[in-house]
Amino acid sequence: MKTRIVSSLLTVGLMPVAIGAQQPALTPQDSAFHALNRLAYGPRPGDVPRVAAGGVLRWIDRQLSPDGINDERLSQQERQFAILAYDRGDLAAMYTEVQRERRERKLAAAADTMADRSEANPIAQRGRRLAGEFADLAVVRAALSERQLYEVMVDFWTNHFNVYLAKGADRFLTPDYIEHTIRPRAMGKFEDLLIATAKSPAMLFYLDNWQSVAPGASPPFPLSARRGQGVRPTPKGINENYARELLELHTVGVDGGYTQQDVIDVARIFTGWSIERPQEGGDFEFHDWAHDRGEKQVLGVRFDGGHDMDEGIRLLKLLASHPATMRHLSRQLCERFVNDDPPDGCVDDAVAAWKRSSGDIREVLRAIFHGPDFWAAENVRAKVKTPLEFVVSAARAVAAEPDTSPRLAQVVARLGEPLFLHVAPDGYPERETAWVNSGALLDRMNAAVALAAGKLQGVTVALDSIVSAGDVDQMIGVVNERILGGTMSENTKQVLRRELAGISDPVQARALAVGLAIGGPEFQRQ
Amino acid sequence: MTISRRVFVKSGGLALFSFGLDPLFLARAAFAVRPSARPPDRRILVCLFQRGAVDGLNMIVPHGDPIYYQERPRIAVPEQDVLDLDGYFGLHPRLAALKPLWDAKTLAAIHAIGSPDATRSHFDAQDYMESGTPGVKATPDGWLNRYCQHDREHQDTPFRAVAFGPQLPRILAGTAPSLAIDDLRAFGMRAPRPAARDRLTRAFEELYAGSATGLLSTSSREAFEAVQMLKRLDPGQYRPANGADYPRGRLGKALLEIAQLIKADVGLQVAFADVTGWDTHVNQGATEGQLAGRLGELGQALAAFTRDLGEWMRDVVVLTMSEFGRTVRENGSSGTDHGHATAMLVLGGPVNGGRVLGKWPGLNPAQRFEGRDVAVTTDFRDLFAELLARHLGARDLSAVFPGFSPDPARFPGALSA
Repeated sequence: MKTRIVSSLLTVGLMPVAIGAQQPALTPQDSAFHALNRLAYGPRPGDVPRVAAGGVLRWIDRQLSPDGINDERLSQQERQFAILAYDRGDLAAMYTEVQRERRERKLAAAADTMADRSEANPIAQRGRRLAGEFADLAVVRAALSERQLYEVMVDFWTNHFNVYLAKGADRFLTPDYIEHTIRPRAMGKFEDLLIATAKSPAMLFYLDNWQSVAPGASPPFPLSARRGQGVRPTPKGINENYARELLELHTVGVDGGYTQQDVIDVARIFTGWSIERPQEGGDFEFHDWAHDRGEKQVLGVRFDGGHDMDEGIRLLKLLASHPATMRHLSRQLCERFVNDDPPDGCVDDAVAAWKRSSGDIREVLRAIFHGPDFWAAENVRAKVKTPLEFVVSAARAVAAEPDTSPRLAQVVARLGEPLFLHVAPDGYPERETAWVNSGALLDRMNAAVALAAGKLQGVTVALDSIVSAGDVDQMIGVVNERILGGTMSENTKQVLRRELAGISDPVQARALAVGLAIGGPEFQRQ
Repeated sequence: MTISRRVFVKSGGLALFSFGLDPLFLARAAFAVRPSARPPDRRILVCLFQRGAVDGLNMIVPHGDPIYYQERPRIAVPEQDVLDLDGYFGLHPRLAALKPLWDAKTLAAIHAIGSPDATRSHFDAQDYMESGTPGVKATPDGWLNRYCQHDREHQDTPFRAVAFGPQLPRILAGTAPSLAIDDLRAFGMRAPRPAARDRLTRAFEELYAGSATGLLSTSSREAFEAVQMLKRLDPGQYRPANGADYPRGRLGKALLEIAQLIKADVGLQVAFADVTGWDTHVNQGATEGQLAGRLGELGQALAAFTRDLGEWMRDVVVLTMSEFGRTVRENGSSGTDHGHATAMLVLGGPVNGGRVLGKWPGLNPAQRFEGRDVAVTTDFRDLFAELLARHLGARDLSAVFPGFSPDPARFPGALSA
């Protein structure tokens, strides 16, 4: 195992990174660019020399302890986001009001209407604006936070423990879920995060566990029967949705060795894990009347009946430290940070760190970043950016100052990744095949040109801070250095030279150079 | 320039229609007698998703059943307004534009079709209908995309699978290339002037041709091929043929653009579009009203599409689908709530039309699902599988519908043998 740990050479900033005899060394600049592309949403102007000078491993260590990083600039920006001032009860009340208003409007409308008439309604507008704002908040945090690795991990867990914002009560439960379930635990122990998601109203609603009851169980009082959105008046038995995804996606993985009977028994264990008044944004509530009191068996482990909620907690702890879970999660982290098809050694290192640290996410990440695979030439620039990564890295590259308008989040959506709106529980995919298609690539090119030309509303770009408009060759050189980390190909240089030559206005020429660089092939990789 | 020659030949053929001959008569002759001129890999499937759960009972009305009238005193379509189809079922009057297609036997309806899963959640039911795996949420891709993955003999042109809308829907999500086109005229580089647009296009094309690797390289090549094809096509100049009059709105626009791509012969095989506004909990209406308005738009759009395509319809099948149906009994707000089975329409040259297909379960409370909804007697996968197998020539249906064994004996018989 020792041989896989990168030599301490790396901590000295100006030394080339040498990993193993055969690997070509990355220069300090290259390793800083690589780390900023993977642990962060790409460099801002000046980040690469700064990280290289201070030592890339020292920067990585700081990123692994986000609490020690001052993030005042982001805090200031966050205060502009009204949505953070509302809790899920407030949002639920707002949503109910919008629904009521819409119903009344429909009733009042003349009988023969072709479609919904979306008249201006202040409450509905505020609701829509808030929903858009929440997606934009995620983009702004990714773009502006100094705690870059932390924001990357928030995105990772948001997808790993995916919920769907547009499913009924999740419209008002999701913001609370991200703020209070995912974000506080993104760099802690996996077990804590797993238990928190299991108890979160957003997940209980999304995967229907809140209405999973022991067969034949009935509540001691009549449950309010409501019409609409997936709310069944009287739950009749177990619902396996959460149980199945807990095993298949959240923990041991599809090859984790469980059977359909395991799924059923997991569902029985979680009967009674419910929500107190979901339509009002209520909290987690355990219904002992709904709980299956029989004996269960999961993955060969017996669960004696009659232990109510403790059975679920015990199961979650068991799953959190199950070898198949360690392997499944370690592989996913290696896919995110190293390669869509990660080498076994990388996964092994992560699993070893998981065991040593009892599932401390920071230690697992540390092992990945210190392993040779992370720095291996074949893994550098081996991944294509997701839409979120592309948009945020582009915004960072041009030192953009986004405001609270949802414009950047809309671009992310347009490129195929509307945030919090992935319907299936597997979350947005990490593999390039999901993101690279002809229409999406054209959209990336258009977004790049619009961004560089300052034509994205609500996004202020400061090209002057990157390169002064002037001599073409010099501009191309600086764009290569500061935006593409020196990876610009000869072909790209030639095309840029030719395209810029015909433009007399140097400011326009600069915008085109930046737009072509960001929309071009080099910038799609990380 | 094979494209322009094809277009010329087609226009020559289509010119017949504009000289006073009844296009429907011709269409009937074409659809009923002539077999499809194209091999399976040149045929086209157009899917329309009626999001929100269409009331199948007011779309294809069981006017022969008194229970229908008893259960819907305020929203039943009166007997005298229904366009009778077979003595028991009839079309909603606002679908009158489709009646000639029914008479020409190019339109069929499948009633009591739906999901084996009992959910009444729009979210879950749409998800299942698009993933093609009822009850299984973790399926990563949609069934139309899986069809494209497993049926490789159709050349992957950039326009093979296209969804009309801002985002790729779940049904087309997956590893096979598929396009989401919100506006055909805006596909490609955006710039205010054509000269600037051409320059940007050329610059990016060269950037990617020279430096892209792997998937970035192949996808960008497809992208610029598609842009070139569209440039020749000049979507802004398109005029529907045979006086076809598409209704205003998203559906009309989507179908017009689909017709345009079909005639341009750019390799379109699977097209998809959404039609919203079917969740009629309140004031649904009967002959007139909310649902009537939506059906009117649907009927006009489909009729315009058929008229516009003319002879091309020989190779086209249009399928409407919706996540579930609505309650047999009207609710307290003169609407209907979430139900179970609904009705779907299948339209086009290869269709074995003029018939309501499927086994009708009846409307008696005892015959209903959970005492309230039309029971499902046809699993939607049996219809989808039939269209894939018999229309598009799909071979590996079990890969398209995992966990389901499609059996031709259960196919509803929507297509002529």
